Amino acid sequence: MPAPSSPKTPRIDGRRLRSERTKQLIIEAFLALVREDPKLPTAVQIAERAGYSVRSIFERFPDLNALRVAATDYGLAQAAALAPARNVDGSRQTRIESQVETRAQTCERGIALWRVLLNSQDESDELKLRVRRARETTITRLELMYKPELSTLAEPERRDMLIALEALTDIESWARMRELHGLPYDEARAVWTYAIDRLLPPTPAAKP
Amino acid sequence: MTASTVTDLPPDSASPPAKPERIDGRHLRSERTKRLIIEAYMALVRESSPRVPTAAEIAERAGYSVRSIFERFPDLQALRLAATDQAIADARATNAPRDLPADRATRLRAQVEIRGRGCDQWLPMWRVLNSNSADSAELQERIRMTRSLILRRIELVFKPELSTLPDAERSRTVLAIEALTDFESWARMREFFGLSFDEACAAWVRAIDSLLPPTPAGAS
Repeated sequence: MPAPSSPKTPRIDGRRLRSERTKQLIIEAFLALVREDPKLPTAVQIAERAGYSVRSIFERFPDLNALRVAATDYGLAQAAALAPARNVDGSRQTRIESQVETRAQTCERGIALWRVLLNSQDESDELKLRVRRARETTITRLELMYKPELSTLAEPERRDMLIALEALTDIESWARMRELHGLPYDEARAVWTYAIDRLLPPTPAAKP
Repeated sequence: MTASTVTDLPPDSASPPAKPERIDGRHLRSERTKRLIIEAYMALVRESSPRVPTAAEIAERAGYSVRSIFERFPDLQALRLAATDQAIADARATNAPRDLPADRATRLRAQVEIRGRGCDQWLPMWRVLNSNSADSAELQERIRMTRSLILRRIELVFKPELSTLPDAERSRTVLAIEALTDFESWARMREFFGLSFDEACAAWVRAIDSLLPPTPAGAS
């Protein structure tokens, strides 16, 4: 008679683990291909890059849209993890520089996936929802970083200020500075830093 | 019928003055058909952007056969290019800068209203242009040209204020205004934030006014 397994040692389902790892590798292959070429990769290309068969892809994702959604969730989670809010209580200049640096890095890393997401969102309500959530996350971050300045504004000025900051620091705005205008990373950051400082109202005096 | 017609001749050709100009009816009809096909394409894009209309849909809307389309355009990419050129020409004609010698508030308001209307009108075409440009150097060139025209317009309308800034700050201000007044920035105000035309204009006016330095004394 087999000995009962100890309740303290959870059973590791090796097959499930392998399947999750395969899923992860397929998602990473999709993201790598998107970074190399803005066009949507085919199932054959993804399978080849991941080192699996096309059948393996469709065993784990019902269709390419499901894979796109999973890759988007992975990309957005990764972007959030790599871009925590820093210097929230710093001086105006410190907060602007910190937010610009974080946003610039997110844009550099995320532009390829973002473009695929935007170009595909009309085919999928799930992708549309991800685009909306990503924008809301950006706005929430702006509200956090510029809370002192925004607190001095009444509506609709506060809303308009957030709209302007969001438009200015949009991922495509970054991409245009880098790709179309050929600005180096530091100069593109300087454009944003300068413009945000001009846009924001004066910082209120700190309470004693 | 000979191939050469009055419209084919270069402007400085020495033709006998007394001879009445020959009108090539077939050529005229063909040009009109082309124009109607382009208009049908643009109307469909406005309704279904960013989805690209098919040849069958364009033909049906224009009231011609699919064959008629491909007799005038070698492929749909050529039709897209012709429609883009038409859109750029139309936009330039209808969105000419106005109130240029006016005071700051008037120039700002006029620029924002023109740009806002342009965005409302041309956003669907702009989206189709961008989503189909990856494989076409010609479409990419049109995007660059449009962006360049937008930058030049900003430099022209806000010349008095921009002229007070050193080069680096001037360039940063122009790029910031360009980012702020991008097509997709307008679209987000209207679609994502649900702003009316006037509210969206007010948001841009306020932001541009903050970005610009003071207007120098004596300038309009």
